[in-house]
Amino acid sequence: MSATKSIEAPNDEPATRPAPVLEVRDLCTEFRTKAGVGRAVDGVSFTLHEGEILAIVGESGSGKSVTSLSIMGLIPDPPGRIAGGSVTYGGRDLTRLDEKALQKLRGNEIAMIFQEPMTSLNPVLSIGRQMTEGIRQHTGMSEAEARKHAVEMMRRVSIPAPEKRLGEYPHQFSGGMLQRIMIAIAMSCSPRVLIADEPTTALDVTIQAQILELMRDLRATTGASIMLITHDMGVVAEMADRVVVMYAGRKVEEGRVEDIFARPRHPYTRGLLAALPVLGTAGEVGGTQLNEIPGVVPALTDLPNGCRFSDRCALSTDKCLAEDPPFADRVGAHSAACWHSDRLAPTMEATS
Amino acid sequence: MQNRLEKAIALAGAAHTPAAGVAPSGWAVLLRRMGRFWRSAMSNRGARVGMVLVTVLVLVAFFAPWIAPYPPDEMGAGMSLLTPEMAYPFGTDEFGRDIFSRVIWGARLTIQVGVIAVGISLTVGTLTGLVAGYAGGWTERILMRLVDVVFSFTETLIALAAVAVLGPSLSNAMIAVGIAAIPFYARVAYSVTLVERNRAYFDAAYVQGAGHLRLIFLHLLPNIIPPLIVVATLGVSSAVLAAAGLSFLGLGAQPPSPEWGAMLSAGRDYFNQAPWIMIYPGVAIMITVLAFNLLGDGIREALDPRQTV
Amino acid sequence: MASFLAQRLFAALLTILVTTVAVSMLIHLVPGDPVQIMYAQSQGTTPEQLEEVRARLGLDQPLMVQYIQYMGRVLQGDLGRTIRGDQPVLELLLARLPNTLILATSALVIACAIGLVCGFVAAYRRGTWLDTLLMTSAILGVSMPHFWLGLILLFYFAVHLQWLPVAGSGAANLVLPAVTLGVTNAAIIARLTRSSMIDVFDQEFIRTAYAKGLPRALVLYRHALRAGLVPIVTMIGLQFTYMMGGAIVVENVFGWNGVGRMAIQAIFQRDYPLIQGFILMFAVVVVLVSVLMDLLYAWLDPRIRNR
Repeated sequence: MSATKSIEAPNDEPATRPAPVLEVRDLCTEFRTKAGVGRAVDGVSFTLHEGEILAIVGESGSGKSVTSLSIMGLIPDPPGRIAGGSVTYGGRDLTRLDEKALQKLRGNEIAMIFQEPMTSLNPVLSIGRQMTEGIRQHTGMSEAEARKHAVEMMRRVSIPAPEKRLGEYPHQFSGGMLQRIMIAIAMSCSPRVLIADEPTTALDVTIQAQILELMRDLRATTGASIMLITHDMGVVAEMADRVVVMYAGRKVEEGRVEDIFARPRHPYTRGLLAALPVLGTAGEVGGTQLNEIPGVVPALTDLPNGCRFSDRCALSTDKCLAEDPPFADRVGAHSAACWHSDRLAPTMEATS
Repeated sequence: MQNRLEKAIALAGAAHTPAAGVAPSGWAVLLRRMGRFWRSAMSNRGARVGMVLVTVLVLVAFFAPWIAPYPPDEMGAGMSLLTPEMAYPFGTDEFGRDIFSRVIWGARLTIQVGVIAVGISLTVGTLTGLVAGYAGGWTERILMRLVDVVFSFTETLIALAAVAVLGPSLSNAMIAVGIAAIPFYARVAYSVTLVERNRAYFDAAYVQGAGHLRLIFLHLLPNIIPPLIVVATLGVSSAVLAAAGLSFLGLGAQPPSPEWGAMLSAGRDYFNQAPWIMIYPGVAIMITVLAFNLLGDGIREALDPRQTV
Repeated sequence: MASFLAQRLFAALLTILVTTVAVSMLIHLVPGDPVQIMYAQSQGTTPEQLEEVRARLGLDQPLMVQYIQYMGRVLQGDLGRTIRGDQPVLELLLARLPNTLILATSALVIACAIGLVCGFVAAYRRGTWLDTLLMTSAILGVSMPHFWLGLILLFYFAVHLQWLPVAGSGAANLVLPAVTLGVTNAAIIARLTRSSMIDVFDQEFIRTAYAKGLPRALVLYRHALRAGLVPIVTMIGLQFTYMMGGAIVVENVFGWNGVGRMAIQAIFQRDYPLIQGFILMFAVVVVLVSVLMDLLYAWLDPRIRNR
């Protein structure tokens, strides 16, 4: 993995360490279902630093989207609730803020974009209205000023003829264009944190690359920190500075992207990497082997004893079935929650 | 009404999962599915309440001669306009007839209304929709356009027009109410047929060389039945309401029939002195309609849990 | 949008055309001799007189000719004359139509006011005791015969409390019939609004709106309500049709002097020209309302407006 990951910090002073912007500590989010209470997020901690792109990776059901919605205070209650932990931003614990204070932060200092641009915009409101309402809410601009700003933002995300398109409706745009608009809306109040929940999953491959490119550009020009939620290790490789891997509501591995790709310390991460199509062999369609991790993420109300990954893990031993491995937190370094981290061989890329 | 239609169409897609490729005799599959369907419907609280009420209604209608203390038309069973007491639980009417006995006997007429009216609309409507959906082309266009036209009139107007032609009587009111609801059933049957016609089992049967009648009655019909059960159950409540309305207007059952709507109509002059004349037949109509509404809603939810009204 | 409206207009015209055919043929569906039935209630009508009526109504002509003659008259605004009283049908109906429209419209306003609010609140508080309470009341309301509710209101407010007049066609007389018709239909609207709004609340764009930091009221009002309104408007159009149908019954409970009451009398008296005129007029009103609703629908939904 020599490619694109580490972008120079947007900061001009190379001496300063990137400061933490957002700190998540022991976050627990529960959902009440008929089958019982499920902890979709169970004691997750991580830190998002100034200007960095942090990828949160995992299959669906791993709790990554719930983590992001918990940060935004958008967990639907009922049936969900944040059962414990803290989310510290600007010296305040977001989990303890009231709705009013959260509203001031959402879309203003912490913005979010979603997976499905087609359904994430209101079909009966014009693009202009959907762009300006957030701007007006947070800046107190007049409608005319907000429109001007909206046009400016649309230009920055490369939407042609923005003045004209402001009056149009979502169904008149392509998916890629809508995701650009979502990004324009999210960035319009210059947030310090952008949470992107699978921003390219619903898009064509070529459009995906453009959207990722756009997000990298915006990070470089605005210095915003990006929390990128994805299940796609390819996207991670291209975008992230650091990676948090989640499985069944837990953080199972965390580290710099180079380290994660070269020497994964959790078999789950290893599995996710193995599921990537091997680069350079794309020509031989029949030959490339996609190695999927067998099985599925367990239901939150029906978790295995011991290590939650044990039932899908090739390295699993009696100890894994009996005892839950703790997250071996080596501060700032590459760590994982696995009894057998040391038995994992480096990936091919690291050895070659 | 529109909403019901959309729901029925929506659940046509969700109701079942016939195995692809094989062409099972639709009726056998239906029978096997009914058991599951029933258990699932009865897990809904509203449906259970509805089922209990419907059962009670049917039992009351069946055992009316044993339950009712007096014949429904026995004048002077008591004094006229007696307040409710032990001997006359619902009081007596202007002719001294026992209102309790009349309400009990009225259950028979109400069941008749439900069965006959829904029978008419279900049979004619299903056939129309089925044929239109199966035949396609001009048959489909003309039939369904006609159905749409009639549908836009509301059942009340069609029922009135039918009674205007046939003349006022309870049996004519049943027929009128049945005719009025035909377009509704036809539209549901039609849209469900369209869905079913595109399923693998239908193609399989077609390829095996099944004839038109066989395709329609052995393969399509059993598969469109589950959504039609929902429609027919809810249809009983609208039929009972509509027929009672016609009788109330004097266009349905005629005195001295113990039909509930007709009882309300006859009792209105005595409302002031004897409000119980008006209360019990109305409550009886309401409970009947409620029972079928609850049951229908419950069955619908069982067929398609996504739709919860 | 043009093609959408053209399509709807075509459907509307077709509906009216089919109605005229059905209405002109109505009299032939009557079992027995319609002319004899019509005059069965009048004493001492001679066979010659009956023949004369038959000729006047054109019943001795071939069906096709009858229809063409009927259409010719209808297009000139002549719906014939009543059997009882020999009055022009159109004038009679037009004189009473405003009363029915006033009743149906007031009832619709009441039904929407109650139904939309209750449905919206129930959807927003889905799963709570409030939702259960509202939806239980709604299913009771749907199951209540409106003529019965009408009688009870009439007895309680007009006869017992004497707050409102028992019968007549003044403004005070409007209250009870409008409430009767409105309340039962409010239940239907509440149920439909609830399911429509639940669909909307689950949409991702609602989450987006919250993520933008919009206050709850704005999200509900601008995003949820606007999006939910499109199916709700369609439904309200249909409701008006039901109101017109329900008005026929309710007018008879309260003695409200509208076309519905007249129609019922016409059916009793076997006054077929009046019945025919009533059905035709009812169809025209229903069709006009549905065309209006289509226009509104097209205007509300940009996906149709910009097609």
